[in-house]
Amino acid sequence: MFILVALGLAFIFNMMGILNLAHGAIYMIGGYVTYEFAVVLDINTWAALLMSTAIFASFGVFLEKYCFRPFVGNFDASVMVCVGITVILQNIVNNMLGTQVMAVPHFVGGVFRAGLVSVSYERILTFAVGGILTGIAIWFVNKTRLGQQMKAITQNREAAYLQGIDVNRVQSLACAIGCGLAAVAGSLMGAYTNLNPFMGDDMLATVLMLVILAGAGSIGGIVIVGLILGAMNAVLPVVLTGDYAQAIYVAIVVVILLFRPRGFFGHEV
Amino acid sequence: MSDNQRFKSTIGKRKWAKPAVYSVVIVLICLIPLFIGTPYWVHIFILTLIYIIVAVSFRTIAISGQLPLAHAAFMGIGAYFAGMTSKFLSWPPWLTIPLGGMVAAGIGALTAYPFARLRALYYALCSLFLGMAIVYAIIAPRDWTGGRPGLTGITPLFPASNIPFYYLCLGLTVLSLIALHRFEFSRIGTTLKAIAQSYMVAGSVGINEVFYRILAVGVGCFFAGIAGATYAHYNTVLSYTSFNLMATLWIVIYVLVGGIGNFAGPIVGTALLIIIPEIFRELKTFVPYISAGILLIVVYLLPQGLVGLPKLIWSVYLERRGRRVTGRMEHLI
Repeated sequence: MFILVALGLAFIFNMMGILNLAHGAIYMIGGYVTYEFAVVLDINTWAALLMSTAIFASFGVFLEKYCFRPFVGNFDASVMVCVGITVILQNIVNNMLGTQVMAVPHFVGGVFRAGLVSVSYERILTFAVGGILTGIAIWFVNKTRLGQQMKAITQNREAAYLQGIDVNRVQSLACAIGCGLAAVAGSLMGAYTNLNPFMGDDMLATVLMLVILAGAGSIGGIVIVGLILGAMNAVLPVVLTGDYAQAIYVAIVVVILLFRPRGFFGHEV
Repeated sequence: MSDNQRFKSTIGKRKWAKPAVYSVVIVLICLIPLFIGTPYWVHIFILTLIYIIVAVSFRTIAISGQLPLAHAAFMGIGAYFAGMTSKFLSWPPWLTIPLGGMVAAGIGALTAYPFARLRALYYALCSLFLGMAIVYAIIAPRDWTGGRPGLTGITPLFPASNIPFYYLCLGLTVLSLIALHRFEFSRIGTTLKAIAQSYMVAGSVGINEVFYRILAVGVGCFFAGIAGATYAHYNTVLSYTSFNLMATLWIVIYVLVGGIGNFAGPIVGTALLIIIPEIFRELKTFVPYISAGILLIVVYLLPQGLVGLPKLIWSVYLERRGRRVTGRMEHLI
C-alpha cells in the first residue's frame, strides 16, 4: 500500500521537482469519498472506488494547473501551497464527518485458511490490487510513449521541450495518475483499517522516506525500497519495543541518506 | 541589499528615530495585559512570543542556505529536557531554561557535523527525517518522558496568574531578538549569507563552510531550545504532537508567510497567523480555513511575504501616479 502512494508522489516529484506534501491529505480524502459513495449513496463498493479515483484524478489535473505549475522550482511556495491544501482538506473532512470511527465496507468478505495460516481475503485483495497497479505503472513508464515522455522530462525539462513534448500535458497526466493512485490506496486502506482525518500525516512521512530513499527518477526502485522498508518495519519490532523500533528505523534511514543523499537508484535533482 | 542601504541612509540622519520607534513598540506591547486582561488572550500572546523566538531562530539557520525541517524537534529537546529535570530532579526554572537551550544546541551541533555534507533539498529532507527520529526517540522511554500520552506534572513558574509569565516571555523574546539580530548582521551573519549564495565562492575566499554552518545550526537550536523550555514551564504538560512534522511545517509557514528575506518577516508572520485565527474564534470550525486562506493569499499575491506588502502597495501607488516602476509585474503575478 505504501508503494502505491509512494508511486503517486514519485510521479509528481520526478516530473516537477515538487514535493507534494498534500499527498497524504489526498490519500485520506480518497478513502472518505469512497466511504460516502459506498455507504451514504449505497453504490457498489467497487463502483465507489472507481468514482473516487476518477474524482481525484481530475482533482490532480486541477492541482497541477493552478497549484503546482506556477511554482516549479520554487520550493518555499510549493510547501506553502501544499500545507494550505492539506489544512483545507483535513478540516473539510473533520467538520463534515467528525472524528467518529468509520470504515469503508469490505470489498470481499471471508477468511482464507490453509492449515495454521489464516489470512482475510481483504488483505489478499489489497496486496493483489497494489501489486497489479504497481506493475501497470512500471509498464506504463517503461513501455508506452507517454511514459517515455515522462522519463524524458524527468531527465531534462528543457531538452524535452525542444523535442516537441507537450510538457504541461504530460505533467497534468502525471499528477492525475499520482492523485488517482493515492485515492485508490486510501480507499483500500479504509476498508482494511478505520478512516481518520489525520491518517494522511503518518502516511506522508513514510512515503516521503520511501521516495527519497529510492531516489529521484526511479520508479522500479520504489518497489524494491518499499519491500526493504516493509521488511525492516516488520522485523525491528521483534527486537525492540514500539517507539524504540520506530526511532531506530528512522535513524537508519537518516544514516543511509547521509552516506547516499540521492537515494539508492536516483540521480541528482 | 540596495533597499537596505537606502533605508539606512535616511535613518542615519536621525539616529534616535529607530530606537525610539522600537522602544515605543515594546512599551505598547508591555501595556497589552492592562487593556486585554483576560487570561485567555494573555495565553495567546505568550504562545505568540514563544513561537516568535522559534520562527526567528529558524530563519537564522535558513540564512546559511539550510532549511532545517527538524526545528520543532529541537524545540522539543529543550522542552523535554527542562520538563524532565524540573520534574524528577526538581531543578529551578532559571537553571533548566538556559540548560535546555544548551542541550538543544549541543545536539544540534553534533548532528550538524554529518549534515554539513548535504545541501539544498537533500539537507531539508534529511533534517525532516532527523526530526522524526528525534520525536520517536523522545517518546520511546515511556517511564521518563510519558510516551505518547505526554509528560505531565512539570513545575509551573507562576502558578497564580499568567501575567508575570507574559513579562518573562516578553523579556526573553526581546533579548533573543536582539541577540539574533546582532548575530545576523555581524560578520558571521554576512559569512553565512555568502555561503548560502555560493558555497564554492565562499570556500575559495577561505571561509570554513562546515564550521559556519554548524555554528548557525547551534545558535538557531539554542534559541529553539530556550523557547521550548519556556513553553514546558508555561504549559506544564508536553505532548509529542507539538514537535512533530506538522509542527515543523507550521513554523516554516510562519516564516514564509511573513517573508523569509527579512528579519521582521518571521515576527510578523507568527503574530498574524496565531492572533488572527483567534480573533475569529467564534466561527469555531471555520478557523483553520482562515489560516489556510492567509497562506494561499500570500503564496499567490505576495511572493516576498507579508513584509513585502508595503513595497507592493507603494509600487501600485507609483503606478497610479503614472510613474514607471520596473519589474512591478513580477510582484503582481
